[in-house]
Amino acid sequence: MQEKVKAQPILSMNSVEVLYDNVMLAIKGVSVQVPKGEMIALLGSNGAGKSTTLKAISGLLKAERGRVSRGEIKFEGTDMTGMLAQNRVDMGICHVIEGRRVFEHLTPDENLTAAAPTGMSRSVLSAEKEKIYAYFPRLAERRNSLSGYLSGGEQQMLAIGRALVTQPKLLMLDEPSLGLAPFLVAEIFGILKKINEEEGMSVLLVEQNALAALEIVSEGYLIENGRVVMNGTAEALKSNSDIQEFYLGGGEGTDFHNVKHYSRRKRWLS
Amino acid sequence: MDWIFLSELAINGALTGLLYSLFAIGLVLIYKASSVPNLAQGGLTMVGAYVVLALSHDAGLPLWLAIPLAAVIMFGLGFGIERVALRRLAGRPVVMILMMTLGLDIFLRGTTLAIWGGTSRSMELGVSYEPLFLGDIFVSRIHLVGAGVAIGLFVAFMLFFRSRTGIKLRAIADDYMASWSVGISVERGVGLSWALASVVAVAAGVIWGEIQGVDQALSLLLLKGLTVAVLGGLDSILGAVVAGIILGIIENVGSDFLDPLVGGGSRELIVAAVLILTVMIRPHGLFGRHDIERV
Amino acid sequence: MFYRLSGVHHANYVSDSRIFKVPADRNLAIFVFLFGLAAPFLLPSLYLNSYMLPWLIWTAAALGLNLVTGWAGQLHLGYAAVMAVGAYSAIHAARFGVPWEFALIIGGLASSVIGSLFAFAALRVKGLYLALTTLAMQFVMDWVLTHSPAISGGSHASLQSPTLALLGQDITSDTGYYYVAFGWCVLVTIFMLNLKRTGLGRALVAVREKDFAAAILGVNSFYYKILAFAASSFIAGVSGALLVATFFFLAAPEQFSVAVSIQVLAMVIVGGLGSIIGSYLGVALILLVPGLVNGIFAGGSQSLGMQINVETLAHIPNAVYGALIVIILLIEPLGLGKLYGNIRDYLMVWPFDQLRK
Repeated sequence: MQEKVKAQPILSMNSVEVLYDNVMLAIKGVSVQVPKGEMIALLGSNGAGKSTTLKAISGLLKAERGRVSRGEIKFEGTDMTGMLAQNRVDMGICHVIEGRRVFEHLTPDENLTAAAPTGMSRSVLSAEKEKIYAYFPRLAERRNSLSGYLSGGEQQMLAIGRALVTQPKLLMLDEPSLGLAPFLVAEIFGILKKINEEEGMSVLLVEQNALAALEIVSEGYLIENGRVVMNGTAEALKSNSDIQEFYLGGGEGTDFHNVKHYSRRKRWLS
Repeated sequence: MDWIFLSELAINGALTGLLYSLFAIGLVLIYKASSVPNLAQGGLTMVGAYVVLALSHDAGLPLWLAIPLAAVIMFGLGFGIERVALRRLAGRPVVMILMMTLGLDIFLRGTTLAIWGGTSRSMELGVSYEPLFLGDIFVSRIHLVGAGVAIGLFVAFMLFFRSRTGIKLRAIADDYMASWSVGISVERGVGLSWALASVVAVAAGVIWGEIQGVDQALSLLLLKGLTVAVLGGLDSILGAVVAGIILGIIENVGSDFLDPLVGGGSRELIVAAVLILTVMIRPHGLFGRHDIERV
Repeated sequence: MFYRLSGVHHANYVSDSRIFKVPADRNLAIFVFLFGLAAPFLLPSLYLNSYMLPWLIWTAAALGLNLVTGWAGQLHLGYAAVMAVGAYSAIHAARFGVPWEFALIIGGLASSVIGSLFAFAALRVKGLYLALTTLAMQFVMDWVLTHSPAISGGSHASLQSPTLALLGQDITSDTGYYYVAFGWCVLVTIFMLNLKRTGLGRALVAVREKDFAAAILGVNSFYYKILAFAASSFIAGVSGALLVATFFFLAAPEQFSVAVSIQVLAMVIVGGLGSIIGSYLGVALILLVPGLVNGIFAGGSQSLGMQINVETLAHIPNAVYGALIVIILLIEPLGLGKLYGNIRDYLMVWPFDQLRK
């Protein structure tokens, strides 16, 4: 276990800055390392820059007129700056974008087919599909109905399954728990953990639901206003009093007069 | 009313309608794969017909060689159009994309006529003009051939959209961003749809060129093609075929009733009325996706 | 004189709601106005009549379309049909003996009524579907025009426009026609400039951006859509009537065909949606450049001793016109107005870096 952490990280981001429209600085020098085969979480509130970080890694920034203006992103040692999104997918990075954006007018089965790499043979594809249906039995039941009519949880499962078809080495998920019932979140996170353990797939998870996320990841980064403000193992983060207060809903404060959100936050912003 | 005459009108209308479908399939292809309305299909059809003419009559190639060769050239042209004109506009408001395709249409028409001149030329496919009698009903051979091509293309594209590439194209139309995220090359997909639509334009250009001569009137098919595409649902190939038949029958039978009343020329009026009524009553058409933009 | 603006900054609402927020714009407008006023004395009458006059009238018409497409965001591919209604109503009224002042207003009002029909399509659908519906309506109007002899004199016929007379004065000279067009264009421009600053203009923009959201904020999108169509149709009608009265002298259905609708839309989009100076530039580009290029081709081929087919020469303007649309959209999808804005902003802070807005 110790050796694994020290091994070459599958993904390393070094002080990356992202500019939107050549004007808006969305993240300001974020550095994140994802060790091979680990699950890492990026935590933070709305607009902190978590999604932008993921898009910088997956190359989807271009579609939103953003670009990496500084820093480097290395995947398995190769620099990826300026690479097209589809080439990054070919290299083994897949990004499950926010908001359960499945292909609504396709069936789940076709969704999986659409994501299959061009060179994948028919037999490999159907084996992949069966594996994904085994992970998500709910999808198997509805494999031939229109995806637009699936429930939120099923759509999220489909989005994850669709990403798995691309056979990623690094799976990135943007808020998979958004708008889902707690038991579904638990189910999805459980499956993620299982995939991570069984396939050795590295996972980078962006979450606002820190409580759920910290249960399954080994390490977490806290992002505020486009900067990484805290980094540590899941246990360390869980026991940190600031994290407990702001993100885990615990700590000293049910008495809201004593909660000092703003002043404490300010210290982090520096 | 004479039933034989009426059924003759209806059958010939349906055949003409299938030829409209031939044109409309090009529109549907692009819309189905990129959610972009292609108003340049009229221009493409014209270019397709002229390229065939240039290869067969001017360069002296036999038709069986000229048509596939033209299809290959147009395939490349379609890719080129996406690369040069549409890629930069991806994600822009629909008004700009509409204008872009209109501009392309004008450009293609102008260039074609500047190169080959505006005098009407004939395609000379070698299909006999001898009328064909099915029982008591008279049908034209070239219409039958065209209808056959339309149905052939329909079957081919139905199969294509079930293939893996076809599914990818449908995925692109659904969500560009999600397509990029799973490594689908949206640009190549949209380019492919334009390339295929250009090949369809060759087919439409050849058949329509044989029927009404190769000149700039070919681009006037746009209104009828659009009506068929909208009536069928902009993203449904099956819709394009069914709507083509329906529009052809309505147009042929309707104009027969209306022409004596209004003094001729009611075909365009009927087509425009069908388009307006479709959009007002059922904007997603007969078989279209249901989530289209509506107020 | 010795200092330069460092950008567009407003310290109070009065300055923010000025017609010309930047002195450069105001100076340009004054210069263009004075030039327009003096044009008959500066330009030979050929230029005045065949370039300046159509430019001004088409600009007025394009501004009207800009009102409905640029401000209210409603696609309109049947604008020429609305212009035709105005033109035919005004000419019939004038032939009937109505003074031209009233005939023009009748033309505008008739256009408003018919144009509002287009608005009913806009209430049901938008975007692509609205474009297709208005396109179909254009075809219907074309058909009605060519097939009712009472209006157009039948197909392939044209209707002679009676001599234009305003304020009891017969207008027959080129200068007179020019000033009529100039006056109308200035009037429409002033209206459009002020529209931006009124509640109406803001309501239209709200409807454009999101009609649901506008409705929730209490903007009656139904009312404003109809108003936008009616106002723009009025402008279209008067422009159409003036076009016939001062430029064509004959009204024929082909002058208002679907190709013309597309042309006006091209002018507006190439100029830039919602941009007034853009409409001027867009009209100039679409109207004048294809002819100029043709002249260059003809002259160039002659001086090079090459023989260009007459037919080729006849179709080059069309190819150029299409290419212009494509090229401008590729260079700057927001049109010439935006290009002008970029250049102006750059020059305003010239020796230093560009404005970052």
